[in-house]
Amino acid sequence: MSKISRRKFFEGTGAGIVATAVPLKGQQAPAALKPGAPHTKIQITVNGVARKLEVEDRWTLVEALRDHLDLTGSKIGCDRGECGACTVLLDGKPVYSCSQLAVWADGRSVETVEGLAQNGKLDPLQEAFIEHDGPQCGFCTSGQLMSAKALLNHNAHPTEDEVRAAMAGNICRCSNYNRYVASVLAAAQSGSAAAKRRPNTAAAAAGSSRGKA
Amino acid sequence: MNTLNSVGHASPRIDALQRVTGAATYTGDRRLPGMLYARVLRSPHPHARIKRIDISKAQAIDGVKAILTRENCDVVWGSGDTRNKRYLFNNPVRFVGDAVAAVAALDRHTAEEATRLIEVEYETLPFVLDPEEALKPGAPEIQPGGNLSPNNQGQRQPEVLRRGNIEEGFSAADRVFEDQFSSAHVNNAQLEPRVSIGQWQGDHLTVFASTQGISNCHTEIARDLNLPPEQVRVVCQFMGGGFGNKNQCHDFDLMAAMLAKQAGAPVKLEFTRKEDFIAVHGRWPTKQYYKVGVRNDGTLTAIQLRGYSGMGPYRKGTGGIAGIEIYQCPHVDRSVYPVYTNKAVSANLRGPDYPQSVFGLESLMDDVAYALQMDPVEFRLKNMTRKFNDQIPYTSIGLEDCIRRGAEAFEWKKRWNPVSGGSTQGTLRRGAGMAMGSFFSSMGRSSAVIDLDSKGIYHVHVGVTDIGTAAKTTMALIAAESLGVPHDQINAKIDVIWGDTDRCPYSVGESGSRTTTHTGYAVVEAAKDLKRQIAEKGMPQGNDILTATANTNPTIPGMARYSFVAHFAEVEVDVDLGHVRVTKYVAAHDSGRVVNPLTATSQVKGGATMGIGMALHEELLYDRASGQPLTAGYYGARVMTHRDAPDIEVLWVETEDAYGPYGAKTLGEPTIIPSVAAVANAIYNAIGKRIKDLPITRDKVLGVLA
Repeated sequence: MSKISRRKFFEGTGAGIVATAVPLKGQQAPAALKPGAPHTKIQITVNGVARKLEVEDRWTLVEALRDHLDLTGSKIGCDRGECGACTVLLDGKPVYSCSQLAVWADGRSVETVEGLAQNGKLDPLQEAFIEHDGPQCGFCTSGQLMSAKALLNHNAHPTEDEVRAAMAGNICRCSNYNRYVASVLAAAQSGSAAAKRRPNTAAAAAGSSRGKA
Repeated sequence: MNTLNSVGHASPRIDALQRVTGAATYTGDRRLPGMLYARVLRSPHPHARIKRIDISKAQAIDGVKAILTRENCDVVWGSGDTRNKRYLFNNPVRFVGDAVAAVAALDRHTAEEATRLIEVEYETLPFVLDPEEALKPGAPEIQPGGNLSPNNQGQRQPEVLRRGNIEEGFSAADRVFEDQFSSAHVNNAQLEPRVSIGQWQGDHLTVFASTQGISNCHTEIARDLNLPPEQVRVVCQFMGGGFGNKNQCHDFDLMAAMLAKQAGAPVKLEFTRKEDFIAVHGRWPTKQYYKVGVRNDGTLTAIQLRGYSGMGPYRKGTGGIAGIEIYQCPHVDRSVYPVYTNKAVSANLRGPDYPQSVFGLESLMDDVAYALQMDPVEFRLKNMTRKFNDQIPYTSIGLEDCIRRGAEAFEWKKRWNPVSGGSTQGTLRRGAGMAMGSFFSSMGRSSAVIDLDSKGIYHVHVGVTDIGTAAKTTMALIAAESLGVPHDQINAKIDVIWGDTDRCPYSVGESGSRTTTHTGYAVVEAAKDLKRQIAEKGMPQGNDILTATANTNPTIPGMARYSFVAHFAEVEVDVDLGHVRVTKYVAAHDSGRVVNPLTATSQVKGGATMGIGMALHEELLYDRASGQPLTAGYYGARVMTHRDAPDIEVLWVETEDAYGPYGAKTLGEPTIIPSVAAVANAIYNAIGKRIKDLPITRDKVLGVLA
């Protein structure tokens, strides 16, 4: 229907996003430990960067990521291991970060959606999610991306059924499953070619996320 | 249909980049300086009087900053009940999950601990879960005046629709068919749980809400807290779904504000997933008694419905059982009883009044067609609506094309078994079903403001939040079309400003599929005004800007404006296991001109898939002895997953409609309307047995086959 490619349409979006972001977020320093609550010093490598922090023993990994490392891309949809919105990679394996304690991640590596784009380039999965309209409300999207990432890391060319199986633990109530599966298959096909196409957008996204938004 | 420059072109969302990088700021992602966390204590009883609340132990915990109960908070939540006064904290409590107290503390764990230390002494009261039981003499009285919720005129009467004379209709019939159907309470189950942040700056309140409508949320917070509207600001930048249960202001918005006031600090109130399932609302369960008269040639003469809707203890939704209007029929008599029960509250969920009632109606119509040895497709083509309620012409109607083209794409003739219980392959039975629907394509009040600066950027201010429907992108496409901005320059030239009542004018709220038709229309009109100004004054120079506004409220004299839809499903039923799998699905939609085929198609795929889940899996089950909900949560509800979702083939029947922005009609809500019935009818075609109670779970399939 369109004479213009979706990619072309999308160019320049970064600027639009910055212009429309509302300067309201007002994030503060990580929330303090509760005096007297049992706590532990841990070290986690998050998206390739070593982070030291002191956590209450009862904090879940997603709580530590969101409230104390300011990585809010991972969402809490159920906080009980049902929906998959909090999926991150722990030493490369997809886990529900609501069902892991932060102390268990001591000495391990965690990858979140914020770490998908590398050197200012979107991951092919992110490119495909945009072009195939993966996210509707977008709340499950980070989890879908991380499950898909884990799949493609060990199976670069999955079948449709393999995609469904790998992502079965990620619920999308907008029920955009067809689009998500199509996105993952397209990303697998495009591989690194897609990653080369749009060098600047990831940087723009990073700017809008923690700058004015 | 003429081709346009931007509208009608598949376009990725203007905010997709934020959604795929984790950069999008949802309400729960905000953390304000000094912010406290809040939790709610809820009733463990379906019906009980609170005799005593003791908060002293909770108060004594280090870190607890504010506690609300009915004793110190008598705020009435206006939109929580359209008939009775519903307080934030009610006594008696009327369902398992009714709020009893709210606590704000330094962190969420402390708040949780404190809610557990609040001592409540209850006197339990008799309860009733079933709407028909609740109407019987001697049933526990849930609201003063009885369990039949008053109608729009305040009378204790059912909601009634009558046309012609129903007895004449049955007299004129050669055959009369009667049957009863029921549907379950199902949950909206949007991925983002309820969350709200209240922040006071002097006497000004900001609520960071997760809402489908910042404007109505704003107005209602001001009303319920007795504040001048100009002292209230509502912000919602990204929103993780709602499907009808985040429209308007909610009790958690008011609780967050009241806790913040008492604590003197911003408060974030978060609901757990379980609370989201039991304590907000889901779709109303129904009981439907249908009676249909038909001539031997298949012409309908009468449709009668007596229906009961379980509203929970508060009247938050209409409780309507709608859909008869998709049939042409001279004699119609519908009475619907919205009834109070002690189950979770019921209100809007995608296509609120329809999928459950179309399930009943279309199941019975299917039976009529089979009994008359007519193809169900032919039966619908013969009897489908031509004028609204047989009286009022439609502005456009593509229903016949939806049915014909949908049937062709689906290969109906090949897949449908003329004799039900058809093709057999081992333990698998295959069958095909279809159903149709319509949805009011509203036109009405909304506003838009467009500023043009000297750099040639159009700043489009619209009070949308974008609940996942791509509303922001829709507004950008409509603005580009109206302003003559080329499609490939939309992101460079069109700056959409949304989701903040301090920066955006009134918008209708993203419910009832009204955003494109209401607010999109306002954008068209504001753009016209701007173009007039440009013609008159030239482009702005230097620091100048041009500002155009539109407050539109179009009406359509003497015509009805509807969207139409026909869905086709093929299922495979395993007669040994009772398992149903949808193997082929075609959804044909007349939503007038489609503004963005990419995102519109996603919506249809999503709505149809939700409907399949409603047909096969979802129910908030209750224990009849204790009144406790048993299946609150995703595993319990068994919502659709990647494993269950079939490929949904979407077919657009783009009718020319003279109204609305570029002829666009309504879209999001109708996507679920016929899907439940289409699946149910396919199951009948596969196994030759009719299952009349939703959801059609394995035990029911095995039950009818036994």
